[in-house]
Amino acid sequence: MSPIHEQGERFVQPTVPTYNPSVSDDTPRHLLDFRGIYRAFGRLKVLRNVNGQARDGELLLITGANGSGKSTLLRCLAGLMRPQKGRITCVQNGKDLRLEARRRQVGFLSPDVAFYSELSTLENLELFAKLRGVEPARGGQLLDRLGLPRNRRAGALSSGMRQRLRWAFALLHEPKILLLDEPLQNLDAPGRRDVCELLENHLTDGLAIVANPDPMDLPRVDHHVELAS
Amino acid sequence: MKNILRWSLWLWISGVIVAALLWAPLAQGFSGLYGDAPQSSRIVFFHVPLAVASFFAFMTAAVWSILYLIKRHPKQDFHAHAAIEVGLVFCVLATVTGAVWSKVQWGKYWNWDPRQLSIAIALLFYGAYLSARGAIEDPEVRARISAAYSALGIVVAPFLFFIMPRMASFSLHPKPGGAEMDRAIGTVVVAAIAGFTALFYWMQSLRARMLALEASDLEPEDELAAP
Amino acid sequence: MLSWLAETLAVLAKEWRCELRTRYALSTVGLFALSTLFMVSLSLGPMGSSSELRPVLPVFLWVILLFAASAGLPRAFVHEEESGTADPLRLSATPSAVFCGKALYNLSLLLLLEAFITPFFIGMLALPIASPVNFAIALLAGGIGLAVGSTLIAAMVAQAQVRGPLFAVLAFPILLPLLKIVVDASLGAVLGSPVDMALALAFLYDSMVTVASLMLFPVVWNP
Repeated sequence: MSPIHEQGERFVQPTVPTYNPSVSDDTPRHLLDFRGIYRAFGRLKVLRNVNGQARDGELLLITGANGSGKSTLLRCLAGLMRPQKGRITCVQNGKDLRLEARRRQVGFLSPDVAFYSELSTLENLELFAKLRGVEPARGGQLLDRLGLPRNRRAGALSSGMRQRLRWAFALLHEPKILLLDEPLQNLDAPGRRDVCELLENHLTDGLAIVANPDPMDLPRVDHHVELAS
Repeated sequence: MKNILRWSLWLWISGVIVAALLWAPLAQGFSGLYGDAPQSSRIVFFHVPLAVASFFAFMTAAVWSILYLIKRHPKQDFHAHAAIEVGLVFCVLATVTGAVWSKVQWGKYWNWDPRQLSIAIALLFYGAYLSARGAIEDPEVRARISAAYSALGIVVAPFLFFIMPRMASFSLHPKPGGAEMDRAIGTVVVAAIAGFTALFYWMQSLRARMLALEASDLEPEDELAAP
Repeated sequence: MLSWLAETLAVLAKEWRCELRTRYALSTVGLFALSTLFMVSLSLGPMGSSSELRPVLPVFLWVILLFAASAGLPRAFVHEEESGTADPLRLSATPSAVFCGKALYNLSLLLLLEAFITPFFIGMLALPIASPVNFAIALLAGGIGLAVGSTLIAAMVAQAQVRGPLFAVLAFPILLPLLKIVVDASLGAVLGSPVDMALALAFLYDSMVTVASLMLFPVVWNP
């Protein structure tokens, strides 16, 4: 693989060891690997040749200024947007996930995710649980764990509570791959402690990719990609 | 090679025009409402080929669109877009020539003949395609949505072109497969259809190349076009 | 298959639950149709119940239904995209289940609207109907095509930045042939002439639009 900085690209952080399936001796149970991701909006190139990887138990942190393409990258990884170039490899429990499967299997958290404001928090989670074929009781458990009221309309939640509900949505189907865009936004100190605990739990087996403008307090950071604007 | 093809297209179309205006005989029974416009039937050599070419245009657009939805290469989107744009021009010309002929022959520009209904809906449909493209900013989303819309046209097309004309109780147009015409007239019509269809494909490929160039990022001013 | 059905029903139930809590669509679509009907009836005046005008009247009913539908049905997807709930739905559900749930919701909404507005229409314009059964079947056939077609177009329009009149622009060319067919059918029902052919064509159109929508929806909904 050719080193990318030689081509004079704007960024790309080579701290990640190159993943080469044919060479690696132990096949990871979970893996998210992206190579040469390119996405432009019209002539505005947001992502140019971005690479990164995380395996089970690892956390990949993506930082960069506003507009550097963190959210775009995470949307591409979640299958909510199509990169124009590049390859995304996603393995969960040893199984290769294609685009459609990846979209439904990953846990995704982003400030853009919103919930049905006419429905209560519990009704929202029960709906998504039903759609994912998950036990509906799981919604209530997560609400209790995150200290959220069950019968409050989602439209009447404070911004911190909405962020907790996003966490509940992301963890609902116990995904092994978590994509977190600004996961600590609007959370108070107990909230940050709660979700960090949940993240730590998740990392005993799963992997996570976290995007944030600045480096932040996380249980662990194994790889770091800095996107230049 | 390309030059030879282009020149033979010009020669062919010139030949068709000369044959249509000078060589082909006049069609019987098409000399105007009061029999005072015998030359008017010659419009058939332009009206029918234009209509046929615009039908090909829209089928071409649908094929490129479906290809795009499978392969997702921007080139296929440019081809579909170009086919619609050029096809729309052909379609408008077919409508206008038809309306003029209808006025001469039957006294009214428009009378909701089933073929007029089909072409009116086709005009609306592909106008809608272009306005949908204008309403979506992201090229990927734009290509995807407009390709799906043009593929949807395949469902509507058989109704417009085959079922509804047969259903209608009256029509100024010959029923599909029911037309009988003079051999010489038929020959020129077929030659004109071939010529205009080739003309369409030539214009369409030029337009597709233009669209590809417009979209390519040769310009260094990345930030100028920020959404 | 069973899980797909459960997903479809979950989407349908969610739509109705949200709708019954706000009554946005029911009130706006119903009132929209009612005010258009008043306008038609008022401007026709005593002419409306004359027998010469009878063959024209079903046209008004379908125009009212078409415009009411284009005012209310796009919301199915536009609201999801605007409020940010489209992404969680995309991440959670099978595309075809989303489509079927939404289309069933739109269909139930449209059939309710038809059941509400048609008696008013018949009453206010004193329209005698020779074959009420055929008239009802024509309403059903038109309703299915209108609901399914509008649902797919709504999903397309929701992805555009400029939405305003785009729905009508995109939907009308698709719906016009169907409308022509069901207008013929309801006219036949009013006059008591045979309408089998038109009804069969209308259902053919419905099934073709449904099949095409199911095939196209995944690429419209997902990137």
